[in-house]
Amino acid sequence: MINFDNVSKIYPSQSRPALENVSIGVEKGEFVFLVGPSGSGKSTFLRLVLKEERPTDGRIRVAGRDLARLSNWRVPMLRRRIGCVFQDFRLLPNKNVYQNVAFALEVIGKPRRFIRKVVPEVIDLVGLEGKHDRMPDELSGGEQQRVAMARAFVNRPMILLADEPTGNIDPATSIGIMKVLDRINRTGTTVVMATHDAAIVDSMRKRVIELEYGKVVRDQSRGVYGQAY
Amino acid sequence: MRAQFVFQEIWIGLRRNLTMTIALVVVVAISLSLLGTGLLFIKQVDSTRTYWQGKVEVSIYLCTSESVSVQCKQNGASTAAQRQQIQQTLSSNSAVASVTYESQAQAYQRFKQEFSNSPSFVSTVQQGDIPDSFQVKLKNPQADYGSVAASVTSKPGVDSVIDDRSILDKFYKLLDGARNAVVIIALVLLIAATLLVANTIRLSAFNRRRETGIMRLVGASNFYIQLPFLLEGVIAGLIGWAIAAGLLIAVKALWLDNLQQYFTFNVGLSAGDLIEVVVLAMCVGVVLCGATSFLTLRRYLRI
Repeated sequence: MINFDNVSKIYPSQSRPALENVSIGVEKGEFVFLVGPSGSGKSTFLRLVLKEERPTDGRIRVAGRDLARLSNWRVPMLRRRIGCVFQDFRLLPNKNVYQNVAFALEVIGKPRRFIRKVVPEVIDLVGLEGKHDRMPDELSGGEQQRVAMARAFVNRPMILLADEPTGNIDPATSIGIMKVLDRINRTGTTVVMATHDAAIVDSMRKRVIELEYGKVVRDQSRGVYGQAY
Repeated sequence: MRAQFVFQEIWIGLRRNLTMTIALVVVVAISLSLLGTGLLFIKQVDSTRTYWQGKVEVSIYLCTSESVSVQCKQNGASTAAQRQQIQQTLSSNSAVASVTYESQAQAYQRFKQEFSNSPSFVSTVQQGDIPDSFQVKLKNPQADYGSVAASVTSKPGVDSVIDDRSILDKFYKLLDGARNAVVIIALVLLIAATLLVANTIRLSAFNRRRETGIMRLVGASNFYIQLPFLLEGVIAGLIGWAIAAGLLIAVKALWLDNLQQYFTFNVGLSAGDLIEVVVLAMCVGVVLCGATSFLTLRRYLRI
């Protein structure tokens, strides 16, 4: 589903590469944790998958497509198959829960009948039933992140990228978030989650890829956060 | 494409920076109406100028039985032989480009047509009141008028020789100056309008960076992201244009048509001329606002 082949990324203003000769393969339906200290290249990895950045070197394939050969006007089509969740939720403050989720479908031109059917289903899936009319500032951090996940998932993407989704949320609430991510993963969606949260990684026992200074230092199925050797 | 969604976004954008939108509409309205006024002016001047340009540079009026000048009183109406001689003198002169003879009947017909908007005046004139004449075009009117005029002034049968151009030139200089001033002001204002469009769109893009960020993320097409901004500029331009169109119609009705009363000739602008100018102003407004929005977006809206 995601294939990095000897990928390096050097940002113009920096001498040290953000990613250096990274080769990673993520299969369809996998759940992968991306761990490592700040600046280790986790975010760069996610941005490369979205084609927000181009690699300096190497080949990236996402959902069967070679990103280097994907023309600019096709990039939106790529992004429709990838959902994104962030640490800061990125909800629209002047829209309620339902509208925030529906927005993702409206802007890609889905018919209203379809939106009316699908949005409530997804809101139920993330556990926010009955809260359609709440505004973001009336929700807790955990609930806001659920809205963001509903928005990321409402178009049934093949891949869900989560960049520290529990970074702003207390540990108890984080468990709920992880349950939703797990539920999404069980529908066959590939999930890649960048995180600092050792407790969560340890409890899930999923594949762990550790980055350090832009290099893969560990790739372990059913791994834990800390050094396992 | 969901029209309702796009229009909702435009409405939000226009309302959020209402003051900028108003400023933009006003500037577009003023600059387009000035531009239109300039264009109407050009058309007006052109229509009077074409009227004259097709005419003679020198008119040689012949004596009729009604002529009151001394030489005509002495010799009576011009005869066919005299006319022939005058014609010969003129056509053999190398400074003359063309000579046409206009009979009294032709002169009367032309008179009726030119003064068609004052029928009471026409009714007081009969055929025969207007003298027949030679209409002479000169190859170089400025240099040769004197010599050509001298060669026929004293000929028998000639009443008077008149050079129309000298009077008209001063008048046209005045009109041209006024027209240039209007067009220059319009162009300066159009530049101001362009900058305002760019600023408005930039503010709008900044105000909605959250929305556009999410749109980008969920895979909205570039067209879908940009369209509300583009239309925002175009709609502001169209509102400005509508105001300008109203002003232009007023300018024509209240000012140019009044100008008509100082001309006894029928040189008024038709409704077609007005429509042409108004449509042209719309094209300028829409293209200017649309293109500026588009170029601004490319700079400030990362896709």
